[in-house]
Amino acid sequence: MVTAKKKQVPVLEGAWTVPSSSREKPQLIGSECPHCGEIYFPRKAKSLCVHCQREGLKDIKLSRRGTINTFTIIMQQPGGNYYHGPVPYAIGVVELPEGVYVETPLKADRLEDLTVGMEVELVIEKIWEDQATGTELIGFKFQPV
Amino acid sequence: MKITEEIKALREVVIAGVGITKWGVFPDQEWYDFGSEAVLLALKDAGMEFKDVQTAFCGSCYQGVSSGHKVMAEIGKTGIPIINIENACSSSSSSLRLAYQMVATGLYDIALAVGFEKQRQKGFIPSMAYRPWERALGFNVQPASYALQTVRYMEEFGISVEDFSLVTVKNRKNAMLNPNARFQQPVTLDDVLNSRMISTPLRLLHCCPLADGAAATIVCSKDKVKQKKRAVTIAATTMMTGTYGEENISRSSAKFSGPTAHMIELAAQQAFEIAGCGPEDIDVLQVYDAMAPGEIWDIEKLGFCKPGEAPHLLREGYFDIDGKLPTNTDGGLMGRGHPMGATGLAQIIEIAYQLRGEAGQRQVPKAKMGLAHSLGTGPNSVVTILKK
Repeated sequence: MVTAKKKQVPVLEGAWTVPSSSREKPQLIGSECPHCGEIYFPRKAKSLCVHCQREGLKDIKLSRRGTINTFTIIMQQPGGNYYHGPVPYAIGVVELPEGVYVETPLKADRLEDLTVGMEVELVIEKIWEDQATGTELIGFKFQPV
Repeated sequence: MKITEEIKALREVVIAGVGITKWGVFPDQEWYDFGSEAVLLALKDAGMEFKDVQTAFCGSCYQGVSSGHKVMAEIGKTGIPIINIENACSSSSSSLRLAYQMVATGLYDIALAVGFEKQRQKGFIPSMAYRPWERALGFNVQPASYALQTVRYMEEFGISVEDFSLVTVKNRKNAMLNPNARFQQPVTLDDVLNSRMISTPLRLLHCCPLADGAAATIVCSKDKVKQKKRAVTIAATTMMTGTYGEENISRSSAKFSGPTAHMIELAAQQAFEIAGCGPEDIDVLQVYDAMAPGEIWDIEKLGFCKPGEAPHLLREGYFDIDGKLPTNTDGGLMGRGHPMGATGLAQIIEIAYQLRGEAGQRQVPKAKMGLAHSLGTGPNSVVTILKK
């Protein structure tokens, strides 16, 4: 007998830290090149730096806060049957202090209050739930501080 | 650059004939119906027969396996090599480039380049160019990708939504002079500004409409030309893909200035070098207006004016058909419509018509040289310069 328990699936495996205590907060995990200093998010599956093309990328925990570089509020369901979240929804690019630009969903009580330059911080939470399969997609978002 | 010297040393290649179908929504037709129609029109225009064609390059995006073979099967089974090309919105300009290379290097004398697309969905295209996790987050919305760039562009240059809305007004006006364009009705600035919001700040009339349609060209060496008055020379065809830092903003710490900036500039520079000319020599221009603001930065990146200058020139009428640099004279993607696999060649065919003096009511007087630029997800950038 299958129970109705929801299956939680991360949108990307290993893309953020999972806190071991309530004092800690999750951080995104990127890749850093020890040779040229380039930083990537999401972390690269291979250890090859696509900037300098040398081996040796290392994981790096990224800052939890950044600023909105650009954003858009999407008013219509995307094509294909891949996204099961609310519409309208906001996505944007958040610049972190490390110099990384992260394309990310944005969360706000009122999406129309989002502005370029706004300070935002990371949250890891449900992005959407697929009613048909009972699957919950867990992912990263940034929300105003 | 040694390679440009070697390209300059190749034999002259011309577009000997062109064919384009009426673009629109045709539920009762498949891609091979209008694809073969475009090929037959191009052959007739060139004064040639299908048995003269020695190889074919067929561009499309979402038509599936061996789509070009099905187009040719409507015309003749001559056993020639047929190659299918998917290169996003540059699929058919890539076809032309390959046809050019085959003829320029002497491997073949007469090649066919064709592009076609039957749109299958309503609403946003699924845009399979995005990774699975990006699709799960709802990033796979083409207008949204443009919107992210548009917001940056507006921040950087202080331009308004009205500024790029004028692109739609201009191109829809031009489309009325093109019987093959999907849209034949004009729109006002108010229409654009009051149309449905799609992805802030972009509204419905900032987004090009999809369409069903096809376009074809006969590419050959000069000695094979049958209709001399119709032949235009391919002065350059260049292609660049994204350089580091512009592939996708989410994957690099390179300064975000739009994901395709450097690539377009390099493709244009190479094309001008091979053609032995500069932006000032171009009489008519076809640029990539998938979204209205895209036309503005495309003109700038190709080198026709300084960054941030195009919106002001647009207001002055600089890019109108009777302006200094007529741009998207056939209505562009915005007015003509956008069958993804056919658009690249349609842009090139419009330049050919203009140089032949056969552009009817939208004719640019004394056009001697023109440039077409297609831009595809990947990203990729194909620049084609034609001369009389």
